[in-house]
Amino acid sequence: MLELDSADSRPLYSQIMDEIRRNVVLGVWAADEPLPSVRQMASELRVNPNTVQQAYRELEREGVVYVLRGQGTFVSVGAGRSQRAPLLRAFAQRIAREAYRSGFTTSDLMEALQELGPEETFDREDAT
Amino acid sequence: MNVGIDTGVELPTRLTGTAFAVRTESLTKQFGARTAVSDVTLTVPEGSVYVLVGPNGAGKTTTFRMILGMLRPTEGHVDVMGVRAGPGGECRAHVGYVPEGRSVPYPWIRVNDLLAHHARYYPTWDAQYAAHLVDALDLRLKDKYGRLSKGEARRVELVMALAHRPPLLLLDEPTDGLDPVIRATVLSLLAEHMTESPTTMLIATHLIYEMERFADHIGVMRSGRLMAQMHRDDIQVRLRRYLLDVPDAWSAPVLPIALVKENGTPRERQWTIWGDEAHVRGQLTAAGAHVRSVSALTLDEAALALLSTKERV
Repeated sequence: MLELDSADSRPLYSQIMDEIRRNVVLGVWAADEPLPSVRQMASELRVNPNTVQQAYRELEREGVVYVLRGQGTFVSVGAGRSQRAPLLRAFAQRIAREAYRSGFTTSDLMEALQELGPEETFDREDAT
Repeated sequence: MNVGIDTGVELPTRLTGTAFAVRTESLTKQFGARTAVSDVTLTVPEGSVYVLVGPNGAGKTTTFRMILGMLRPTEGHVDVMGVRAGPGGECRAHVGYVPEGRSVPYPWIRVNDLLAHHARYYPTWDAQYAAHLVDALDLRLKDKYGRLSKGEARRVELVMALAHRPPLLLLDEPTDGLDPVIRATVLSLLAEHMTESPTTMLIATHLIYEMERFADHIGVMRSGRLMAQMHRDDIQVRLRRYLLDVPDAWSAPVLPIALVKENGTPRERQWTIWGDEAHVRGQLTAAGAHVRSVSALTLDEAALALLSTKERV
């Protein structure tokens, strides 16, 4: 399910987009499966339905989902793979900015990431 | 501390657009010598969720009462869906109103009788929807209104306001007195309502974080004045927090920027500034500050910042 963070400074619709991306990449929603309706999503997240609509529309424009009139919004074939790169890139940007805010450069950050021990990460062998 | 406010840079108080569900013009209300509402030009776009935020006593309820024609403005006027609001309360049939306190003067009436009574005034009353709301809000139809807790009375008011699916909803502190579980239910019901019935919502609250995910427009009211009024996206894009590294004993020059709030230490300043980010960055850099980070504000933080702006003369 989607998680929103009210302390996150990304606009709400883009948080919803990224959460949907995350679920698509993880395979929670597989190709040709429907997303929840706008009503259902708005009700569960307790957000303005127009915001959900906006997120769906943007994802449709990006080709992550497709709309069948009168039937709903569905996950595009191949989105699970194609959305990995943008999702990862968004992560990297956020971490890099956060590090810079505390006075670290990107290479400081990369060094620190490589030095993390297995007990400090959630990396698993089967992660792809 | 030297504060870099250029008084020539104003926060936006005007919304442009074509259709407004509510539009007040220079609305003013005086109670004796006290000015409760002063020169408020509130514009609520049709179909929007407009959250009017401000501390208790800011004039939100008085503004609502004038919009509904329950109070006569000392000056100015109100248009509700294109119709001038007057003491006849012409607009009331098209408005769902959740008042700040209890609205029903009959403590002995049972909830089901109250709803049936209320339904007669509204030709668009949807009995099936009312039953759904009663059920979702965990109300008991046989309870007497006067025996309801504050939160239960509030829930009954919500049913009365929503079940005739009015084109305009005026909600005055709609979650006041509700426990967290019911509050979440109310927010879900409002989201569903918005999907199913085309409606404009004007919500007054002093707890903006509850309405954070609903609001698409925000008005900030303080001491009877509308300090700012803007689209949520504008807040996201134009109101930002700048973390600055500054040299020792740096004193901020007066910059042509709208500084909304400032705090920080002598070497690190945190400024909340309204304006185009590239322009603001340029101004700050030219003044000898190093911009370490720029971040958007949550609506809650934005409202607090806007409420703390110094009164402009």
